[in-house]
Amino acid sequence: MKPETQNKLTVTVVIAAVVIAAAALVIALRMSYPPDEARVVQLIEQRLAKAESSEATPGLNEAQVIQLIEERLPAATAGPVGKGISEARVNKLIEERLAAQKGALSEKEFNERVERGVIAFIEKQRRAEQERPNQLARNVPRPGKSDHTYGNPDAPVTLIEYSDFECPFCKRFHGSVKQVIDESKGRVNWVYRHFPIEQLHPVKARKEAVAAECAGELGGNDAFWKFADRFFELTPSNNRTDIDTVLPQIAREIGLNEKQFASCLASGRHDQRIDKDIRDANASGANGTPWSVIVSKGGKTYALSGAQPQAAIRQLTGLALQEK
Amino acid sequence: MRSYLGDLRTAFAHVFAHAGYIALASTVALATFLFAVWFPNFALMGDVFRTPGVALIAKLQIALSLLGGIVTNFNPLSAGYTIAIAVLFGINAAMIVYLLKQNRAMAAGQNFAIGSGGLASGTLGIGCAACGSLVLSTVLSSFGAAGALALLPLQGEEFGILGAALLLVSVSLMSKRIAAPISCEPSPARAKQRESAIASRRDRC
Repeated sequence: MKPETQNKLTVTVVIAAVVIAAAALVIALRMSYPPDEARVVQLIEQRLAKAESSEATPGLNEAQVIQLIEERLPAATAGPVGKGISEARVNKLIEERLAAQKGALSEKEFNERVERGVIAFIEKQRRAEQERPNQLARNVPRPGKSDHTYGNPDAPVTLIEYSDFECPFCKRFHGSVKQVIDESKGRVNWVYRHFPIEQLHPVKARKEAVAAECAGELGGNDAFWKFADRFFELTPSNNRTDIDTVLPQIAREIGLNEKQFASCLASGRHDQRIDKDIRDANASGANGTPWSVIVSKGGKTYALSGAQPQAAIRQLTGLALQEK
Repeated sequence: MRSYLGDLRTAFAHVFAHAGYIALASTVALATFLFAVWFPNFALMGDVFRTPGVALIAKLQIALSLLGGIVTNFNPLSAGYTIAIAVLFGINAAMIVYLLKQNRAMAAGQNFAIGSGGLASGTLGIGCAACGSLVLSTVLSSFGAAGALALLPLQGEEFGILGAALLLVSVSLMSKRIAAPISCEPSPARAKQRESAIASRRDRC
């Protein structure tokens, strides 16, 4: 191949790679932040085209429809965070407007209102997008009796961790959080919840989560934490754990009845609990593990992604302690 | 290989003889590094900085402490290519500006494309690949193919390595351009025509 052709080919391939990567990034960001403004606008345009072709609603323009959305959007999006505005709701709003539209305002007045409305609408969407990850973290269920808590149960600040027993970063994070809790003198506690990533750690991660629950069921809160500590100490992560050997070994070491432990593992009675934890993790904005939400006494949340250093955990729990 | 290293040395001597380019490369490299390490916690940082009644120094301490994530939240491979991408992107940016200032926009444009490809690919590799690469897992799950990550031998880290490699190619190509003297060169076809014309004239004599 001629060097010139080779160069052209390289540049073409690279440009294609850039375009694909950029498109992937855009898709990722769009998927992360519903409600999708573009989708809403597209719906409006579709409805508008339909309205324009209809003789029943003469004089209706796009701006009028957009203003309707802006006027009614606060009510439409007042539901649970992250649900977004549904297509059906947008359609209903437009239908209502079509029915009510009588052209009561002058063209100039109307356009001014529309302009203000559109700006407010876009600004509101932008603010919602910026705040969304932490808004989602507010969805995290507050610690309850069924939770496994390390440290003072009445501590004013709680670190809720969603973790995967096969994740090497969770293993690293486990030791860091434990030290911060131990040093906090009862002012911070730690709740452990399950988020086994089955696509990356098939079968084992979930089974280990069930095993930890069985340890808790048979030996109480202490046994749960002993199991978790020992498990992270013994195992290599990344789906390389020999669960048939390690799980009974840990059960034996922490003084559980092996037969009961094996029977609990096979029973499937903790599956629902783990599924709920996974759903809760997703609802609180988790994309991977470890995923932590620090909750202050007043309910303010700080979502922390990844195995961040002890210093960061200490600073954030300190910040949460300052909250009233 | 030796000529590549020679070009690289010459290009570095040309570009980084000026303090301005060193500052530019360092700034871009630092910004890229900060972006990569803070990326998983941008929302948290925004929230911390918006919290009223907290001293700015405390807020900055949180931001700084999150930088330790390069050790705790990355494995040696991902930390290595993250730093490499940041440094190479900084060098790339300085070289592109140098070429543009010399009115060699064509060369700068081509290499900007390669460099951007490297950065985009590197971005896909950001995150805890073993536990769900941040960008990639979101992209794949949106197509219902999150499990595809597990099929990759390095579970998504390939993109980071590819990013560093593309940036290295870009730096190497630009070094060659910078090391070459600025002159008007005939195309290879024209040079051949010229040589054969001279040869035929010699035959006639």
